[in-house]
Amino acid sequence: MGFATRIWRKLCVWFVRENETEIDDELRFHLEREIEENRRRGFSEREARRRALMAFGRVENVKDEVRDVRKIARFLGDMVQDAKLALRSLPKQRGFVLAVILTLGIGIGGNVAMFGVLDVSLFRSLPYEQPDNLVLGRVTYEGQVGNTVSGPDFFDYRDQAQSMAGLAAITPFSVQATVTGVGTPERVSAPLVSVGFFETLGIQPIVGRHFAADEGEPGGPDVVILAHAYWQRSFGGDRDVVGNAIVMDGTPHVVVGIMPAGARFLTDADVWRPIRRGVDWAEARQFHNFVIVGRLGPGVPLAAAQSEADLISHQLADAFPESNRDKGLRLTLLHEALNEGVRSTLGLLLAAVGLLLVVACANVAGLLLVRGKARQSEMAVRSVMGAGRGRLARQLLAENGLLAIGAAVFGIVLAAWLQRGILAFLPMDSLGPIEARLSPGMLGSALMLTLLTVCLFGVAPAIRIARSEPATDLKSGMRIAGSRRGARVQSSIVVVQVAFTSVLLVVSGLLLRSFGQLQGVDPGFEAEGLLTAEVALPAGEYGDVTRRAQIFSQLQERAAALPGVVDVGLINRLPIRDDGGNVRVARPDEWGADGVFERLAYQRMVLPGYFEAMEIPLLSGRDVALTDDRGTSPVMLISAALARDLFADANPLGRTLGVDVGDEEPWTAEVVGVVGDVVPSSLVSGTDYSMYFSYGQRSPSSMRLAVRTRGESAGLVAALRSELGSLDPNVPLTGVTMMQDVVTSSIADRRSVMTVLIAFAGVALLLSAVGLYGLLAYDVSKRAHEIGVRVALGASLTRVASGILRRGLGLVCLGLVLAIPLSLVAGRFVQEMLFAVGVTDPLTFAGVAVFLGTVATLACSLPAWRAARIDPMEAFRAE
Amino acid sequence: MAGSDLLQGSLDLLVLKTLQAGPLHGWAVSKRIQLLTRDVLEVNQGSLYPALYRMRDRGLIASKWGTSDEGRRIKIYQLTAKGRKALETERRSWRRFSGAVEAILAT
Repeated sequence: MGFATRIWRKLCVWFVRENETEIDDELRFHLEREIEENRRRGFSEREARRRALMAFGRVENVKDEVRDVRKIARFLGDMVQDAKLALRSLPKQRGFVLAVILTLGIGIGGNVAMFGVLDVSLFRSLPYEQPDNLVLGRVTYEGQVGNTVSGPDFFDYRDQAQSMAGLAAITPFSVQATVTGVGTPERVSAPLVSVGFFETLGIQPIVGRHFAADEGEPGGPDVVILAHAYWQRSFGGDRDVVGNAIVMDGTPHVVVGIMPAGARFLTDADVWRPIRRGVDWAEARQFHNFVIVGRLGPGVPLAAAQSEADLISHQLADAFPESNRDKGLRLTLLHEALNEGVRSTLGLLLAAVGLLLVVACANVAGLLLVRGKARQSEMAVRSVMGAGRGRLARQLLAENGLLAIGAAVFGIVLAAWLQRGILAFLPMDSLGPIEARLSPGMLGSALMLTLLTVCLFGVAPAIRIARSEPATDLKSGMRIAGSRRGARVQSSIVVVQVAFTSVLLVVSGLLLRSFGQLQGVDPGFEAEGLLTAEVALPAGEYGDVTRRAQIFSQLQERAAALPGVVDVGLINRLPIRDDGGNVRVARPDEWGADGVFERLAYQRMVLPGYFEAMEIPLLSGRDVALTDDRGTSPVMLISAALARDLFADANPLGRTLGVDVGDEEPWTAEVVGVVGDVVPSSLVSGTDYSMYFSYGQRSPSSMRLAVRTRGESAGLVAALRSELGSLDPNVPLTGVTMMQDVVTSSIADRRSVMTVLIAFAGVALLLSAVGLYGLLAYDVSKRAHEIGVRVALGASLTRVASGILRRGLGLVCLGLVLAIPLSLVAGRFVQEMLFAVGVTDPLTFAGVAVFLGTVATLACSLPAWRAARIDPMEAFRAE
Repeated sequence: MAGSDLLQGSLDLLVLKTLQAGPLHGWAVSKRIQLLTRDVLEVNQGSLYPALYRMRDRGLIASKWGTSDEGRRIKIYQLTAKGRKALETERRSWRRFSGAVEAILAT
């Protein structure tokens, strides 16, 4: 025989060989002929069979030996065969298959979706050149990381840092400007960036150039760089716009370049303007308006750059103790810094969805155990008929594997959809919109999870079968099939389910409670029926402050006359809607003393009538008046808490306060009134010190309208627009929102996380209820005979039913008790997401217990009711 | 019926010899051996099938699916050319072996 033939034959042995059934067929044929012959010899049917079997030896041994001959060679074929068998047997159990695939699919799908969310958010690469070298620089106060760095500090760091290949700054919050002369006047997002900003990130203009060095110095020319989308939108992608000027805030700015599509850092921008040293929000060291982004020099580790930054911080502290005494700069890898905010949220959701998977697996394991028992007789028969135990176990495993694959496919489909939902829900677009997609990582995680679930729920029943004794199983039949041990396993599965579900419910409950608390926070004003909008005057045309005051008070007057309008107030920054602007305030005797830094208050400029429009109570003194202008001495109102802090119980009216406005000397004003406290920035931060100045004396060019409306406000916005247009057609009315929406969206992030978590907890609860129901229902059906006997012997129906109920609720109680320590641990992880609710919030715990108890009682009562309706005669007949 | 254990390796020889007359299915192979040895040698089916599979894998015999008289699907084994050669070798070595044993017993 030639070499090739030998190889061919070997291959045949490996791949082309009869499968298990064919061996079965052959051996069965042999056995039957043997029996037939014995019968012909005159043995009884029974004896004929016995002799044949004896002569044959154990069927399985024969097959094992046959198999041994080609153990490895058979393995693959067996697997295919197992799968084929499983495919044939599964459709006959449609309900079971559907239940498993749905349950597991939800578990796998949820997890894969969360992995997908992680994959496209945390692990994606940033859209910059060599993003791993980029660092984010944030200010620290006594080591605590704050956010923004002051302009002068930034310039010092940039000029002195040797370890950085580039250091740049940008305003991280919304900075807007009005562009006129291109169609209708438009408010655009116009962040300020330092010269060298785009070079640091490694973004090149597609037309034109970067900012030049002189454009970042005081007295430099007015220039802008356009964002791609804005360029397309307003200039139709005309390249000739570069070199021409656009009018921004009334001043011509020359367009020097256009950035490619997708160029973005922290905020969306329409145009970028250069920060000029000493002007443009960079006037003073106590004004913190910028975040720093830097690129580490080649081969420079982060630690080295950090120690250099520390050194510079110390020098600055020595040189400017007044402003820089406790300040520092913290450098964090950009990637890490950007993920800080979402990491805990994602971690929480990932943990939740993990628990959900465990609950789902427990459910499926419970289902399989029940089914395994139901199939025990079938397996025993097959075993006697010649199928080996190993073979049966393997086939079960194959069936479970197929189920898991089905669940995985369903899970992946579900995940693709869920991922989109979660991403749309969760605020993670600080780097631009995230695109939902099925990543290889997701598919990998699906595979891993599927394997894990097969291990969790699939192997145990297989081992059970492998260990079982067919003879006893056959003899015992169905009645005793549920062994004591099996029941225990099933019960503990339900306990685990209840415990994990409770943990999910407790965490959701805690978040729900804090959300309720947050919604219950009194903002200090009436948000209902309050329409807000923004009016920004072009600073160039409105250089004269009396002109500004004039147009704003005219607008206030005209708006108040509109139908449906009760009151109109004007302020430069509205509470909750517009953050920022908190500065130092002190009594004259405090200046220069320690602790002056500590007391910050939000400074606001208002026109008369603001407090009435907002329904903020005037507690004492008077409102600002139109007569409080530059011709008279400065006045201010302060909030009640600030008054208490400054003057304790003494009367604050008539006292003088100094406010840090960035000059050498504080701005001083006389307190003429005290108003109620408001929440200036966010509901989470709560009420804070506020002070209000007269617009006539301090006059920013951009103001917010607070319009108190009554009833239907449709058409009001158009009316406001036309009133403003008649005053000056070049001034747009922008940012029109209802205050209620502002408040709602300010806590929308929390609501999203909470909603996703509640959804997970809800699914877990449903699964647990189904698991509990399944356990008891099976229990009842299994014990129908026994219950029948008891009823026949005179046990009352209530007693029977309550016995079932007791068993179910006992397990639930055990699960709840187990859940308490677990929930306390879980609570630790969400502690920082809680608002005004403790981790041990008794209301939440009690609520969860009651809620889960109710659902569990419902799940238990159906089987209990069914048990009570068992007809003894029926039960006996069924035997 | 006291069946003697077959000596190691002799089962292969018996199977080959049985199949020399023509293709047979497994049960017939065992019956034939039993018949020819007048029930002295009873082939334990537990060893027959493994032997059949092993020999087929070694290429001594070939198997194919056929139909029995009653119309059942049965597997039929037949000798290959290699099997025939092996039968000759085995037969010779068995003769030598049994002759040697006989010679000792005759003394």
